[in-house]
Amino acid sequence: MPPHIEPPRIQEKPLTKPFAIQLESVAKKYGDHTVLNNVSLSVREGEVTAMIGPSGAGKSTLLRCINFLERPDTGCITVEGNQIDAGTNFTAKDLAALRRNVGMVFQSFNLFPHLNVLRNVSIAQERVLGRSRKEADVRSMQLLERVGLADKAKQYPSRCSGGQQQRIAIARALALDPRVMLFDEPTSALDPEVGLEVLAVMKELAAEGMTMVVVTHEMQFARDVSDHLVVMANGTIIEEGDPEQVFTNPVQTRTREFLRAVLER
Amino acid sequence: MDIFLTILQGVPMTIGLTVSALALGALGGIPLALGRRSTIPGVSFVAVSLIEILRGIPPIVWLFIIYFGLGTALPMLDPLTSAVAGLGLISCAYMAEIYRGGLSAITRGQWEAGEALGMGRQSVLTFIIGPQVFRVSIPAAASYAIGLLKDSSVAYTIGVSEIVYFANDQSRQSSDALGPFFLSALVYVIMTIPCAWATRALDARLRMRVAR
Repeated sequence: MPPHIEPPRIQEKPLTKPFAIQLESVAKKYGDHTVLNNVSLSVREGEVTAMIGPSGAGKSTLLRCINFLERPDTGCITVEGNQIDAGTNFTAKDLAALRRNVGMVFQSFNLFPHLNVLRNVSIAQERVLGRSRKEADVRSMQLLERVGLADKAKQYPSRCSGGQQQRIAIARALALDPRVMLFDEPTSALDPEVGLEVLAVMKELAAEGMTMVVVTHEMQFARDVSDHLVVMANGTIIEEGDPEQVFTNPVQTRTREFLRAVLER
Repeated sequence: MDIFLTILQGVPMTIGLTVSALALGALGGIPLALGRRSTIPGVSFVAVSLIEILRGIPPIVWLFIIYFGLGTALPMLDPLTSAVAGLGLISCAYMAEIYRGGLSAITRGQWEAGEALGMGRQSVLTFIIGPQVFRVSIPAAASYAIGLLKDSSVAYTIGVSEIVYFANDQSRQSSDALGPFFLSALVYVIMTIPCAWATRALDARLRMRVAR
């Protein structure tokens, strides 16, 4: 038997990082109204993708399709290697596997009003990851510390300001160690000044290399923080690319119109 | 005074009957309320039908059906068991409707937040939605409980020795036919007022905690 010879390995640093999220021809209709018209989108590991566009463009719907809060009619969604084809019958287990890597932050925070801040952050760790209450609370306190709200741990969400609630919601999502974070207009329900504290936490997260998809109306954030900008209108992606490029020199007329409307007011 | 003390003997039975029926309703109302919301074909129809039948038949008729109807076939159905079963069944229907109201008061975002965190529907229901539904259901459930406390008097018709049973007994024995019933009325009022007061206090306390 000839000795096994190890083939020479070419050490090559990949030029581009692998995809964290891939959406292929995602379509969704409500009755006659087409919300998403065969949208495809790829997000690379560690990349911050901002989605902008007029209301009703389908940004939030597309975002919510990533973790199947909204089920597309057709299309294939892959997140961190877990693939679900919306057209087929998938199991609750498939869905759980996909969601396992995805954290989400909502416009309306959606904290659990009957639980105090600490329990809000801990409960899913216990139920989903099987951590003990003690372990979960330790992790929760770290995260609350990180978003600057450790002193609120024993308070109920209703006693916290909007900005604080949203930071708690971010901590709650991070508590499950997601590899991808989805933000659905996280600052839209907040006063402009209060929104800044939430954006600061998000910038920190982006700097640490978290893969993020952010639906936003915060143009400055989209321009400064995102690596990739997606412009949506009428259920399709009309333009995408380098944020600076899109902002300074948009190709599509519709993009230009939209940017003029939001920037020159 | 003796008459009053005799009537008071019925209080434990009245309370026991009310609490048991309410407990049955509080539990049995859960599957009915969830069944009503179910998207599985048929389940919702069955749940609605059950609720309407349970509510549509007067309590006294239910008690007669159970005690005189089923009771002849099942000897272990004594008056108290029949009354608890009958009032309990009716409570299931009313509690289901109360829970349904509570469920619809919970925003979709609460379900979504739980699901986005990777919790299964069962888990979300048990730890996120359920506790909130119970809280918003308290005022309505309390007024139902107070109604039930009084309505439990129908159990006297099948011979359960609760307040009205003793009042009726005293009325027959004494020359004063109406007096014992006035006294029983007084006993009911004494019991319901603290109930109403306690639920208002409880409701206010829970509301303060979760006020948005």
